[in-house]
Amino acid sequence: MKRRKLDLAQAPAAFGRGVDERFQAATPLRGLLNKVFPDHWSFLLGEIALFSFIVLLLTGTFLTLFFDPSMKEVAYQGAYPALRGTEMSAAYESTLRLSFEVRGGLFMRQMHHWAALLFMASIVVHMSRIFFTGAFRKPRETNWAIGVTLFLLGFLAGFTGYSLPDDGLSGTGLRIASAIMLSIPVVGTWLSASIFGGEFPGHLIIGRFYIAHVLLIPGILLALITVHLGLVFKQKHTQWPGPMRTNTNVVGERMFPRYALKQGGFFMSVFGVIALMAGLFQINPIWLFGPYRASEVSSASQPDWYVMFMDGLVRLMPSWQLYIGDYSIPPLFWPAVVGLGALTTVPMFYPFIESRRLKDKQIHNLLQRPRDNPERTGIGAMAFTFFLIATISGGNDVIADKFHISLNAMTWVGRIGLLVLPPLAYFVAVRICLGLQQHDREVLAHGVETGIIRRLPSGQFVEIHQPLGPVDDHGHPVPLEYGGWVVPKKMNRLGALAPAVKGFFFPVEKPTEAPVSPGMPPVSPREEREEITSAR
Amino acid sequence: MTSDTRLRRVFSRRRSAPSRVRRRIGAAVRMLAALALAGGVYTAFAPGAFAEDSPQLSTTAQEGKQLFDNSCISCHGREAQGVVGRGPSLIGAGAAAVEFQVGTGRMPMTRQEAQAEEKQPLFDKTQTKQLAQYVQELGGGPQLPTGELTESLEQNPEALARGGELFRVNCSSCHGFGGGGGALSSGKFAPSLHDASPETIYAAMLTGPQNMPVFGDNELTPDEKRQIITYVTMQLQEDKDPGGLFNLGRYGPVTEGLAIFAVGITILVFTALWIAGKS
Amino acid sequence: MTTVHHEATDAGGEPVDVRDPRLSRFEIVKEGARRDDIEIVTYESQFQGHNSKAERRVVRNIALLFLIAFLGGLAFVIFYIAWPWQFELGSTLSDYYTPILGLTLAVALFGIGFAILAWAKKLLPHEVSIQRRHDQPSPSDEQLITGQTMLFVADELGVQRRPLLKGAVALGVLPLGVAAAAPLIGGLIENPHKDDPPMMFSTGFNQAFNGGKPVRLTRADGSPIRPEDVSTGGQMTVFPGIPGGATNEWADSPTLLIHLRSDDAQETRQAADADRRNKGSMWGDYVAYSKICTHAGCPASLYEQQTNRLLCPCHQSQFMITRNAQPIFGPATRRLPMLPLDVDEEGFFVAKSDYKDTVGPDFWERP
Repeated sequence: MKRRKLDLAQAPAAFGRGVDERFQAATPLRGLLNKVFPDHWSFLLGEIALFSFIVLLLTGTFLTLFFDPSMKEVAYQGAYPALRGTEMSAAYESTLRLSFEVRGGLFMRQMHHWAALLFMASIVVHMSRIFFTGAFRKPRETNWAIGVTLFLLGFLAGFTGYSLPDDGLSGTGLRIASAIMLSIPVVGTWLSASIFGGEFPGHLIIGRFYIAHVLLIPGILLALITVHLGLVFKQKHTQWPGPMRTNTNVVGERMFPRYALKQGGFFMSVFGVIALMAGLFQINPIWLFGPYRASEVSSASQPDWYVMFMDGLVRLMPSWQLYIGDYSIPPLFWPAVVGLGALTTVPMFYPFIESRRLKDKQIHNLLQRPRDNPERTGIGAMAFTFFLIATISGGNDVIADKFHISLNAMTWVGRIGLLVLPPLAYFVAVRICLGLQQHDREVLAHGVETGIIRRLPSGQFVEIHQPLGPVDDHGHPVPLEYGGWVVPKKMNRLGALAPAVKGFFFPVEKPTEAPVSPGMPPVSPREEREEITSAR
Repeated sequence: MTSDTRLRRVFSRRRSAPSRVRRRIGAAVRMLAALALAGGVYTAFAPGAFAEDSPQLSTTAQEGKQLFDNSCISCHGREAQGVVGRGPSLIGAGAAAVEFQVGTGRMPMTRQEAQAEEKQPLFDKTQTKQLAQYVQELGGGPQLPTGELTESLEQNPEALARGGELFRVNCSSCHGFGGGGGALSSGKFAPSLHDASPETIYAAMLTGPQNMPVFGDNELTPDEKRQIITYVTMQLQEDKDPGGLFNLGRYGPVTEGLAIFAVGITILVFTALWIAGKS
Repeated sequence: MTTVHHEATDAGGEPVDVRDPRLSRFEIVKEGARRDDIEIVTYESQFQGHNSKAERRVVRNIALLFLIAFLGGLAFVIFYIAWPWQFELGSTLSDYYTPILGLTLAVALFGIGFAILAWAKKLLPHEVSIQRRHDQPSPSDEQLITGQTMLFVADELGVQRRPLLKGAVALGVLPLGVAAAAPLIGGLIENPHKDDPPMMFSTGFNQAFNGGKPVRLTRADGSPIRPEDVSTGGQMTVFPGIPGGATNEWADSPTLLIHLRSDDAQETRQAADADRRNKGSMWGDYVAYSKICTHAGCPASLYEQQTNRLLCPCHQSQFMITRNAQPIFGPATRRLPMLPLDVDEEGFFVAKSDYKDTVGPDFWERP
């Protein structure tokens, strides 16, 4: 009988041929393997969000295996003695069971919650980077809008998620959510009654939040994240200006193996940070909060940090009620509905607002340093200050207690600060940007200050400047054009220092080069340089 | 009219001036009479200022009175009657109130402010008990019970859970779910319970110091108070948090949000700097 | 790959035959990259010579990191299985279970992560490549063709030419959209005003829920309350004495019963009697207010017995107890409703009627 020889050496090639015969993958695969990505630390911030989302999906799936989204009342008979015999919902009871009767359950729960906080924190940091460097400009306006939507979806995912255990803290949050719905004119009572299935709290809300949190919102999130990343892939990543970089190319390294390894390593680091925090820092100790009861509350009640800005705005809103005939619009409506609605939709249009203002219809693939667009940086500083004051005001009772400040004073500081500090931040940011721009131009025109003072025969003291470019016959530097990138302002950035010897305990044989941009590879041996002295 | 003359005669002096000795004795007698008059009037009208000097005070209370007269009288007045604008009357405050205020060092207060701060007690335990006994004997009031103030969990296992439920209904709104304390209006605050002793907690519930409401024995029975103390000491104070080495104050989202930026984002930004540098 | 490759200019010269056996693998790769508009400008090893001391050192370090990761992972598994984890009150070994898991897993993950990162950063050759972007708009004839194609589709459908169809399509499709939304909205929708007494305007103290009789005030465990149960300067959270009155079924019913000092009570009574709705609602020195804050519904429970302020911890609204619980600070606009109090023949507190003001946060229909 003839036996077909299984040639293992040829197996990969045979497999590859088989794939290509079916999917014609050869050329696209090569394109993928060779795709060039630019390199900068701030380009990795969005990936923190991506990787923490993956951790959320993994840990979340584990949690769904144990959680019971039912509001049926049961008496707890589990392993935590301080709640034994207490009446609580099955949702709360299953969360306690997961925390105390499932091996490693508390650790998984904490990883999930810390990953959620990290997800939102990294979105905010990433969004700031995109904003301050102008990466949202044409052709990336859609991606910016998707990103703002992702923040809102993450907000909703977090809110529905931490309300699931039906504990004393998140139940209070649900009460406020019901009040926010009630505050909407005309339809408020109908909306709240429909979502809660009757009067607050009803028996349905945890089940409804559950399906929103594990299916609907993650589904939309996954789809939008895919589109978001796909657009980055298709449009290619932006890059900083620099040597060899133009608006029509991407300078960096190819995807495989180096870039992909960096991604993989970073994913492990993000996961490691989540695991570290989940082990070191306790988060959301629901057993101390007790089951949600409408008559119980705690001091220091606030939502998770990414919702805290809304709570802060609600705290600061003065008690202005609108009366329209027999009807009223409570003050809660303005910060919670109008405010939140505006804060999450208006930023989507910022790219178009800015391009219209600057009458700029060009494609921008090069990033802008924040100082080169003072107005945008000022607006960003303003928005950030507003967000920060709102968030801090969300925790103003904790701050008042721990720092011995009057609670009433904290509220007033927040109210006034919210109106006064953002314009101040705008002004200060613009002035700083202009100052930095001026300094850049000055160094380009006159050279880097060396710190070496020379005395002229006339007795005058002058500081020697190191020109960055060619000099004319008189020895004055030819003024250079500003290239949109970092202007070296210290001598060690020009390689004036002797190279450092590498190695921790023992020196390694090859001394490192002085730090230079990877855009300037060492194509030729280093030139001899004249040593700068103070003599003649 | 001769009234003039008669008046003059009535009011005329004696013919001869009295002798020096007589004058001196007369002056002394007049002085004594005046003093007796003043003293008598004063004694008649003064509030029973010396009534409590009577031997009805026990020895402990006598010691307490010494301490009181040295340290407390300037704001709380003689015999704890109170001084308007400085300190309230302690009549009816009871030994429990004194054990709370003095035992935690809140009293003597350093200055007039929104709320007395807990600090290093000025008096030791014995002296505190003496002061307490004095105030109790002055005007009566609630007293700490004798015996254990916490329940034993072997004999009474539901005490912990019952205490927790009572804590969340009555106490957590000011002192927090984790007993970390909380802000009240205009600079006042409900203090942290982390270092409170069972006596302090019991006394506070019973007497309602400053702005804390009074939880009398009809509202929270001594058993219920003991259950709450059991919960506070065994669960909030002594139980180590199972979720990590640091509990971030058990304040919830404020410190958690701070931690994610201070620890998580910081570590990852430094990692990103290492990975990709600054091109 | 220890040879250094430099290409200063784009190799736009003659086509490369990839089957040429003299070509090195790297040159084939470069040709492939060129076909994707990628130019590999620099590709140099980080080490000099082959298997240099520096390279071996880096390799050793990476191996060490992988070893640390392995040990971390192993430790994780061992501790996961063997360390005590069941909850015990007090300070026990099981309190360290989660921290140990976190630390060992972090060591494992950081180990792998840093090993991979060190590999990428220190072992792999240093590289600079340039890829050309292709983000010019499509050629204008392509744009024209696509536009015309779409218009042709519209033409073919012929809706414009056939006005009857236009109307018919609109008519036919409309109910489909509504039909899709109908069960969702229809199933979810809940009329907030359907009950009698209406749920937005009544609480558990409404006598309709107690067979027309006044409702007693009870503690959380259901036991009724006598006046002497609350000391002067004290407060108690009370619930309606109906089945489930203390549960979330009656989430708008929790009430704060306060025993004021006589001078404060006098002031409160004056303010109450001057108000049309609160007249006569106090009983002696006792007053009862709804605990549900009129701002956003949190229980306003922080009673300051000396200043007579009630603070709500959620958004810091403060209500003046001696002045009909009028808000004096914070975002709340309406006062807390006062519960009309009485004491029945057995000496227990009852509510003479339901609250005269609407309880809880504001809404549109609340006058």
